[in-house]
Amino acid sequence: MPAQAASTRPGARERRFKFALIAPSIFVLLLIGVFPLVYLLVVSFQGITMTSNDMSFQGLRNYALLFQDARLWQSLLHTLAFTAIALPIELLLGLLMAQLFIEHLPGRQIFVALLVLPVVLSPIVAGATWSLMFDNRFGPINQVISWIAGREITLLWTINPTLVYPAILVAEVWQWTPFMFLLLLAALSAVDKSQLEAAAIDGAGYWRTFRRIVLPAIWPVMAVAILIRTLDLFRLFDIVWVLTRGGPGTMTETLSIFTYVKGFQQFETSYTAAVALLIIVGLSVVLILALRRVELSR
Amino acid sequence: MNKLSLRGRSTPANGVLWTTLIAAALALTACGKKEEPPKPAAPPAPAAAPAPAAAPAVAKSAAQVAVDAAKPLCQGGKTITIVWEAGLQSLDPKNFSGPLWEKETGCKVSVIEVPTAEMFTKIMQEFRAGTGAYDALNVIPAWMPDLAQAGALEPLDALVDKYGYRDELKTIAATYRDNQMTVGGKIYGFPDDGDVFLMYYRKDLFAREDLQKAYKEKHNADLAPPKTWEDFEKIGSFLTEKLKGDGIYGAAMFREPGYGNFMFQERFRNEGGKFFDANMKATINGPEGVKVLKGWLAENKFMPKGVEKFGFVENLAVFLKGESAMTISWPPYGRFAAGYLANEKALDWVPKSQIAGKVGYALPPGGHPELAAGFALSVASTSKNKEAAYLFIQWLNSEEISNQRVQLPYALRDPFRDSHFTNPGYLALWPDAKDYLAALGQAAQTGLLDLSLIQTDKYEEALRQGISKLWAGEDPQKILDKAAADWDAVTQQVGVDKQKPVYEAWAAKSGAYPKK
Repeated sequence: MPAQAASTRPGARERRFKFALIAPSIFVLLLIGVFPLVYLLVVSFQGITMTSNDMSFQGLRNYALLFQDARLWQSLLHTLAFTAIALPIELLLGLLMAQLFIEHLPGRQIFVALLVLPVVLSPIVAGATWSLMFDNRFGPINQVISWIAGREITLLWTINPTLVYPAILVAEVWQWTPFMFLLLLAALSAVDKSQLEAAAIDGAGYWRTFRRIVLPAIWPVMAVAILIRTLDLFRLFDIVWVLTRGGPGTMTETLSIFTYVKGFQQFETSYTAAVALLIIVGLSVVLILALRRVELSR
Repeated sequence: MNKLSLRGRSTPANGVLWTTLIAAALALTACGKKEEPPKPAAPPAPAAAPAPAAAPAVAKSAAQVAVDAAKPLCQGGKTITIVWEAGLQSLDPKNFSGPLWEKETGCKVSVIEVPTAEMFTKIMQEFRAGTGAYDALNVIPAWMPDLAQAGALEPLDALVDKYGYRDELKTIAATYRDNQMTVGGKIYGFPDDGDVFLMYYRKDLFAREDLQKAYKEKHNADLAPPKTWEDFEKIGSFLTEKLKGDGIYGAAMFREPGYGNFMFQERFRNEGGKFFDANMKATINGPEGVKVLKGWLAENKFMPKGVEKFGFVENLAVFLKGESAMTISWPPYGRFAAGYLANEKALDWVPKSQIAGKVGYALPPGGHPELAAGFALSVASTSKNKEAAYLFIQWLNSEEISNQRVQLPYALRDPFRDSHFTNPGYLALWPDAKDYLAALGQAAQTGLLDLSLIQTDKYEEALRQGISKLWAGEDPQKILDKAAADWDAVTQQVGVDKQKPVYEAWAAKSGAYPKK
């Protein structure tokens, strides 16, 4: 009786109606989110390659190969290196720019709009642009260096092992610093002015104010920005692909490039599925830990 | 633009060249963008297409057979979808052959433009998806074993016999016909592009008396197009020494790894190298391979700075501007250099040739040029219009139509039938066209095939990576040892028992290794 009574209660009916409304969305999400993941898992235990459509169960063969594949682990190291260098630079530059533009400078809005332009570009276009910028014969960078040096300087930015990482990082930082800048500018704009004024009246210096008031206030936004950029950098593909295709050799090959080459150039379908799953699991762990750390998971 | 603008780097004219190169890169690779067709409705009619050479006088030509057979299939406005290399190549079906086929048969032609580097991927992806989105394909012959084994290509023998095309297939130049048409004895594609490397040299410079005399004094030999790589280095460094003040380097060459892969394969075999031993162990790290890489490093010293990054466009720009005395490339260089295409709108991006009438044609050192890449026409196994697709490619590839297609000023199809090399219309296109066609014909006879195995791209990838490491300063022997180890790993992964017969079948072809 109580159950029957509950089911007829207006609240329960309303809840069922709500569930019915969101059910199609949940179904679509499951279809486009969970189904590919499950399919990926299934394929990773098969033996599908370019020339073989072997869908029989192969056990952990692909996973065992994965742990023996030095190129995969090198590509992970390269990805980590790009992340470890690019992320702090983007954060620092973005913060500095945001600090500068928080002041009401003349022409501020125009400058902000111009600064944000690189983010609007597709990364492949940004890569192509920088490829031309770095071109040893016709690129303006070598020309400017030659003017400064007073003689012809030919720097092979995308070939020379000592220049190739800086070249990629310059392009990457150029494109994504404005993203940091935008988020941090928004966060800085929301800092309680009265607290800053009170700190100033109390005689707190710039650094003390920044550390004690500004940073805690912008930290949630900053943490999200860091998280988004970390995930983006783990997926780094376009700019590196256009500039170096992962070369010289595999010196700048990132995880995404490795996965693309294995999956879509060499059609190691099942092996690539195992690699993709490893990346998904790894990133999920990082994401969960990070969310806990910044207390955003609540 | 004068010579100084390229060398000096500091003139505003550099911007023009820079823009030209951007446009050129877009035109060649196109990145999926559509080339703007000038006037699709009005197919140009190249001069003097000869009558079919092999067809009996009373029989219909293969082109006419295809048209007649396609008409009933095309009723109701069927569309044939064909994958074609993006950029200039695809102007052929978009501007000429597509509209003409529609006029003759009623079948529309839809061209899917794909950059070369992505063609294999797209074809395989579509095959795996099995949507039947592609009917006909342009396939690089070296991919054929992979695509045929995967089942992506339709065997064509039955259709060839049904439509009586075997006789006309015999008049395709022997190198292409015997080497680029079959896998395991079955026809999977019609060779349709005579891509072969040729040496282009400045005959005006080679004929200069002062240079002739100085070279004779220095090397006790005549200044002539080099027949060996040792001579190439001597002549190249000599010309740079003498002409660099005038802004001319002895030579420039493809060095970008994607192109270097072909150059390595050619030169390695001209030096006597074999890719594998009897046990399928890679032998590219032998003395021949090391000699090639060391030769490249030595030669770069007399080439333009930054030659390590030279691909098709960079090398072309330098050559057409008269800044290099020798180069090796695909046949379009000869046509671009002759300047007879200067008014072609689609070729606006090509720097104006400053060397028209000054270019000689020769076989590259070693005498066995690479039959680098090229295209064959195939039918997709997943096509829902296989017969109509087949008829379209038979028609394209026929004596009658191909003779017109190889003369299209904007497209990049190169002579591949015996009749193309002697076509009166082609011979009259520019004053030196007869020398050009003679050299191409000779190259076709002695040309070397790209290595073609199961998972060819993995072997080529190891070479490409090795070449990029060479420009990064690594030791040639170390590079080739790593490449050979990578090759062995691929062979092991494919299975020696599986790969060995494929290699042996390839090695048995007439163009696999130079004949002794």
